[in-house]
Amino acid sequence: MSRSGFLRLVAERLGFLVLTVWITTTVTFLLFRLMPGDPTLAYLSPTFNEETRTALLRSFGLDKPLWEQYLIYMGRLLQGDLGTSFLQRVPVSQLLADALPNTIILTLVALSIAYAFGIVAGAFLAFQRGRGIEGFAIPAALATRSAPEFWLGMLLLAGLAFQLGWFPTGGAVPPGSNLGGIGDRLASPEFWRHLFLPALTLVLYLQGLPLLLMRATMLEVMNDEFIVMARMKGLSRWSIVMRHAARNALLPVVTAFALGLGASVGGNVVVETVFAWPGVGRVLVQAVQGADYPVAQGAFILISVVLATMNTVADLLYAALDPRVSVGARR
Amino acid sequence: MRAARAAWRFLRSEPFAFVGAAIYALIVVTAIFADKLAPHDPREILRVGRRVARYLPISPEHWLGTTSSGRDVLSQLIWGTRSALQVGLTAAIVVVAIGTLMGLLAGYLGGWVDKLITRLADIVLSMPFLPFMLVLAALTTPGTTVVVACVALLLWPNTARVIRSQVLSLRERAWVEAARVTGCSNTRIMFVHILPQVLPLAALYGSVAIGWAILAEASASFLGFGDPNTISWGVMLQEAYANQALGRGAWNWFTPPGLAIVSMVLAGFMISRGSEKLLFPKLADK
Amino acid sequence: MKRHVVAAMAVAGLVTSLPVSAQPAGDPVRTLVLLAQPQAALPQEYQAAELIAAAWRQLGLQVQIRPLPSQQFSQIVWYERQRWDTTTWQMVGRPERSDPDELTYNLFLSANIANGYNFVGYNNPEYDRLANAQREELDVAKRKQLMIQAQELVNRDQPYGFMVHPKNVVAFNKNVWDEKSIVDQAGIGARNTWTWLSIAPLGAQRDIILNSVSTPTNLNPFNISGAQGSWAAEITWDRLMRIGTDGLPQPWSAEAVTRPDPLTVDVKLRAGMKWSDGRPITIEDAVFSLVAPGIGDKSPMYKPFVANIASVTATGTDTLRITLKKPDAAFLVSSLAKLNLAPKHVWEPIFQSLQGKPETAESVMESTPVSSGPFRMVKAKLNEEIVLEANRDHWAAPKAARWIMRIQPNTEAALGALRSGEINFLADYNGDPQILRDIAKADPKIKIAEALDMGFKFIAYNHRRPPFNSTPFRQALSASIDRELLAEDAWGGAAVPSNSWVSPALTFWHDQGIEKRVPGGNVEAAKKILKDAGFVLVNGRLHYPAGVKETTAPFQ
Repeated sequence: MSRSGFLRLVAERLGFLVLTVWITTTVTFLLFRLMPGDPTLAYLSPTFNEETRTALLRSFGLDKPLWEQYLIYMGRLLQGDLGTSFLQRVPVSQLLADALPNTIILTLVALSIAYAFGIVAGAFLAFQRGRGIEGFAIPAALATRSAPEFWLGMLLLAGLAFQLGWFPTGGAVPPGSNLGGIGDRLASPEFWRHLFLPALTLVLYLQGLPLLLMRATMLEVMNDEFIVMARMKGLSRWSIVMRHAARNALLPVVTAFALGLGASVGGNVVVETVFAWPGVGRVLVQAVQGADYPVAQGAFILISVVLATMNTVADLLYAALDPRVSVGARR
Repeated sequence: MRAARAAWRFLRSEPFAFVGAAIYALIVVTAIFADKLAPHDPREILRVGRRVARYLPISPEHWLGTTSSGRDVLSQLIWGTRSALQVGLTAAIVVVAIGTLMGLLAGYLGGWVDKLITRLADIVLSMPFLPFMLVLAALTTPGTTVVVACVALLLWPNTARVIRSQVLSLRERAWVEAARVTGCSNTRIMFVHILPQVLPLAALYGSVAIGWAILAEASASFLGFGDPNTISWGVMLQEAYANQALGRGAWNWFTPPGLAIVSMVLAGFMISRGSEKLLFPKLADK
Repeated sequence: MKRHVVAAMAVAGLVTSLPVSAQPAGDPVRTLVLLAQPQAALPQEYQAAELIAAAWRQLGLQVQIRPLPSQQFSQIVWYERQRWDTTTWQMVGRPERSDPDELTYNLFLSANIANGYNFVGYNNPEYDRLANAQREELDVAKRKQLMIQAQELVNRDQPYGFMVHPKNVVAFNKNVWDEKSIVDQAGIGARNTWTWLSIAPLGAQRDIILNSVSTPTNLNPFNISGAQGSWAAEITWDRLMRIGTDGLPQPWSAEAVTRPDPLTVDVKLRAGMKWSDGRPITIEDAVFSLVAPGIGDKSPMYKPFVANIASVTATGTDTLRITLKKPDAAFLVSSLAKLNLAPKHVWEPIFQSLQGKPETAESVMESTPVSSGPFRMVKAKLNEEIVLEANRDHWAAPKAARWIMRIQPNTEAALGALRSGEINFLADYNGDPQILRDIAKADPKIKIAEALDMGFKFIAYNHRRPPFNSTPFRQALSASIDRELLAEDAWGGAAVPSNSWVSPALTFWHDQGIEKRVPGGNVEAAKKILKDAGFVLVNGRLHYPAGVKETTAPFQ
């Protein structure tokens, strides 16, 4: 596609992203206002009287009509103010800022390894078309995708952490340690030890998709005309594969990676819970369980925004990289 | 009858699909005869004398032992097939129905309808599934209705895309052109002529959707938002986790429900092995 | 001939198929809903609820267990007192409850029915009399008699279905800590302030690293922040007296406390104490700490504990005099050993700035709290960890270097952390005790300390909703609870049967053997109690006595 065509696509996609985020935040607002349970119970004591309770509700703005609350909410959101946690009395954005790097690191590490493995294994399997190993490998890959993530996590936890004691059983850092920002965490070997099991669980679960995808698209591409042409030109099978087939087959995989990144930020909820990994997913679960509305709302919005953004990135990536499109459109 | 024979031929030619169908058949039979097959009442707190029969190991009376509250694991596993089928089938039917309808409308009518539905699908796809289900379950009563609703609300776009691209290619066929020329209304063409052609694809997709629904229910239960009054594999896993079955080393309690889930979801994937496009819908419309 | 036989047999069959009890019966009792927290949160209570529901079904009742998430659970039970039938609940053991006065007064007094701790709605003037009398009776032997009578009265009326007194099960790493330096406090166990002060490191590790399964809500001297939060607050802020290991109050920040007459308490402040910001602790601080909670509604949690104070005046540079409104036998325990010493120069301005605003002092969180306790707060990330460091200037400075509480809601992870050494004190364990025992057996460095807690778990009957307003009905329900089974199977042996709010851990006040004297005591006797009271079984279903209608809508 031409340069200006691509830019137009970018603009259109970004515009749509903004619309999507707006709709998502509105839906979130409505969802949370309809939640049952009294949020102020979090720190009310039985000795409060009705007066104090009403005063508290007022201070949280929960007594105003819905539309007014919505405007206040959207206004604050645009300024980056996600409110204050009921339970912990700190700004929600601070809690999320602490948790987000943990989720991102876990997701990136796990996805990268899963995709690296999947790509290689998938390409390998494409070569093994028709051989016996397919009958085992494909169901195995599907099986990992069929297993509940938390169940995989629990099995690993039970075996490698509890029984063998090779890895810690939860959290991201040892108690009392003073690791600060991302740099500190990444540099600490303890952090990586804590990261290992949750990442392994995710790798096990995630590798199936790139593996099967790579295999499928490789098979498709390997039959493509210009591959046949290249063979006829006398190039060796290996160089064909590496230079042409793999490159074309990689495109959907790269797109899937971007999509997977977006999906994982929200999808890691269960793995983060099993391993008590202090990421955004776990923050959300605890907030929902504790009726801490501002935090739950903020976490949900963050996850949705990341997801929507990565979907857009994936779309643009595909449009930018598709050789058929970029080559063919020049006509 | 012809469809049944076609299906049988399909299964025989695709070994994966055959195995998948066989697993499903086994599950369906178990579900239908659950009350006869289960050696005990899955909810009954079994006793040893006066005491509760907690954490009994594998034995001839209890092939998979008992739980921490004295219930027979095997019986719960068997009865769990009912809940799995119920959730799975309901969710699959609803999500495939919605997705097929959307895909049909978008693919055939084109124009602004297509744009609208595609945009809507994009928006829905930006809703994170598990968090949404969590929040919705906390908002209403946790249970299978929430799971089915979430699967239906959030997972139809994948089906829709695939159906849409198939409809797009069907639309240009000669016989559709002929139908249009003879004055058939759009509705008639869509639902009487095209829909039957896409149904096999939709059905295959349905088998995958059953798997999504089961995994969704298991996750919801694990996070504490399942229906505690039903016997389901997800609830079994959550109970085991909550009661520290791992710390107890009660693998007999914890592993079977997970394996059951794997089997059922895997069966769905395997049935659809006939068409890779089902699993990677993003490819379908490029 | 044959036809007559057939007819006779038909008639005989008809007669024998009529309901056995052809006596008149009222409406069937509606399905009763037993509330509980989700199984994942409190597995033992949930299992107990299941066993109890099974027992009640044997009486012909239809019982449903309804798990509710913690927030909703508290909301309904506490604030919607007309709505629920029956629920699991508990009263937690705290050092200040070493004197049973607090619970005796709050739980069953009719004045507390609408908003206070008497949420079940028990109304018995005889009990009111006993509760007030014991509070004002300064003769210990006479007071004990009153407490025994109160327990016997409650046993007869069964306002609660008491279940068990839990045992506190904690564990620590005895390679890190000298096990002889762990202190046991009556009714609390090893996890107490005295342990934190005296625990002695054996090697290089001098930080106490313990776990907590729930997030503390806030840490300040005017907030009773739940069980785990209070562990930290108790050692960060000092108080005039503390409960000793024997359960009796002893002077702490006070050098001496005397009671010249029933309405007067004289306190002499210890000399040389300083706040963490360097300023000295003055008698004005002490006066302020006793008076502030009573100002307006700025400290609702502590207000009841100063309600009986008529006046507090400084009588010298280090002495003050408290004048009470009414004699109060438990004042030293329930108030002087509970109220925190808070710096006037920090909190008086805060209280003043809160005037006219809805917030209370409870929600104020200082970034660096000013305190005078044996530990000082260094860091408080409430959902991750709380780090306190030893206050070397304190006259009872701890031997450990730091006290670090790590929030870990996942029980398995906490156990794993104990084994791997990430924590060296398992302070908060609500899981299966057998697992912990197995771990300790396999790992010699782990030592378990079990102690009977002064708290208790119970089933609350809502007296506002029939048939729970009928004493025989409640007696029957309580009789059918197999408390030993609960202690052995639901709590895995980490509990003992209970039939009183006064735990056997409080040996002086506990009514000996009362757990064995529940009226009836078993399911068969329970059935008889119901029958004698006029309840009727129709086809296995329990009905009200004749003429009584079911007027209460089932719980939704």
